[in-house]
Amino acid sequence: MKIAERLAQAVAGGIRQIGQVSIRPHAAGYELRHIEDEGVPAAELESSQDPAAAREISTWAEDAHYRFTKGELSLKRGWLLLLSSADELRQALDLFYPAAVGLWFAQGDGLLEAEHLRPKLARQTGMYRFTRNLSDARAQQLVREVCGPGNCCVKKILWQIDADTPLEDSDASRFDGVVGDVDRRQAVPLLCREACNHFVAEARKAVKGEAK
Amino acid sequence: MSFAPKPHAALLIVGHGSTENPDSSTPYFEHADEIRQRGGFGEVHCCFWKEEPSMREVEYMIDAEEIYVVPDFISEGYFTQEVIPRELRLEGPTTQRAGKTWHYTLPVGVHRSMTGLLLQRAKEVAPDAPPSETTLFIVGHGTGLNQNSTKAIRDQVELIKASGAGYAEVHDAFMEEQPFIAEWDKLAATPNVVVVPFFIADGLHSYQDIPVLLGIEAEPGEAASQREVFRHNPHHLRGKTLYYSSAIGTERNMADVILDQVADFDATHRTTVSP
Repeated sequence: MKIAERLAQAVAGGIRQIGQVSIRPHAAGYELRHIEDEGVPAAELESSQDPAAAREISTWAEDAHYRFTKGELSLKRGWLLLLSSADELRQALDLFYPAAVGLWFAQGDGLLEAEHLRPKLARQTGMYRFTRNLSDARAQQLVREVCGPGNCCVKKILWQIDADTPLEDSDASRFDGVVGDVDRRQAVPLLCREACNHFVAEARKAVKGEAK
Repeated sequence: MSFAPKPHAALLIVGHGSTENPDSSTPYFEHADEIRQRGGFGEVHCCFWKEEPSMREVEYMIDAEEIYVVPDFISEGYFTQEVIPRELRLEGPTTQRAGKTWHYTLPVGVHRSMTGLLLQRAKEVAPDAPPSETTLFIVGHGTGLNQNSTKAIRDQVELIKASGAGYAEVHDAFMEEQPFIAEWDKLAATPNVVVVPFFIADGLHSYQDIPVLLGIEAEPGEAASQREVFRHNPHHLRGKTLYYSSAIGTERNMADVILDQVADFDATHRTTVSP
């Protein structure tokens, strides 16, 4: 079954949220809005029927900084997307949270391959090849400094330092990928299957710092 | 080579992206939208080196079992020959993995149809400048590290010269190697000069750095989406009339070049094309 069809099934089965986006099914399709705008009358929100509008909505945060990682806890409020089909719903969600829906289905199917930090750093080349020199202790520290809701990223980390070295317990390593105090069965968790390139860039800075 | 629709297949457009400037990835999404609207593929997706979805994540977004990967880059080099194959785990022109077939085309910038796009852009930006009194510059970054990007531009310059478009002169020029675009007025003998940046996106280079080198701006301006007014042509500078275009990759017809690369891939690598 296609991802859009599975998504429609999941919403029919009770899924109502992904990240900071609320999903409401209705007769004419689907309605997306910020989870904190749940009680706001539709007339007070800026509405669009174009799933591609999700890119513009999710590009800039309220304070006008560029959200280059979409798992950031900084999605702006005040918008409403009215979508007419599961394909449009899928397209919009893939712009808000790229690949998140597919990663969640793959996890459910037992097909999601997480990649630990060591092999991720070991395959880097060019200016990032020195990140493989990052110490375990500094890597653990970086997870606490870069990842998790305390640093504005609300993805659930699936990777470890290596197969034998789990992440140390912290708010970042413990976070389950669902924003807010909601029924976990009604939310698609945001999954982090390998350290992102922002983390690798921070690892590069840390290695340069360690070398000094 | 015309493009035959592939409703069973997915198109994956690969871009660089940026953690500093969202304009950097805008053209890739526009190219994807254009091709999606034309309906040539069952699915169209983008993925990036610096943005999300990453090249390792994007495979989880794709339903199709056959995927055409088109690097939306201007030349062959480090990214198209090393980073993209490594991240997407491609082993050659065609890779079979976990029930899916991945076809890896050449980057858009090396396709011969780029020539027509460059000429069209040059005409649009300077509709009143007679080609016989105009010098056309195709501008790239230029660096000692990657000769391929300079080669892609020099190839285009030769193709434009041979095209019969009638420009008095056509030159390659670069930000960081000779011939330097900063010396455009000395390189051009004609009263009119048209400059087209050979980049995919209007990022730091085409929108901020090159205008300073040309003398249009005294210092780098804001990112493209933050500017209130698009630059006005022509500019009367250094005794000449200068027309400056946005990056060639922002052209909506780049969608045609992407489809041309797919068609060329099939012609080169596939003896039978599945229905």
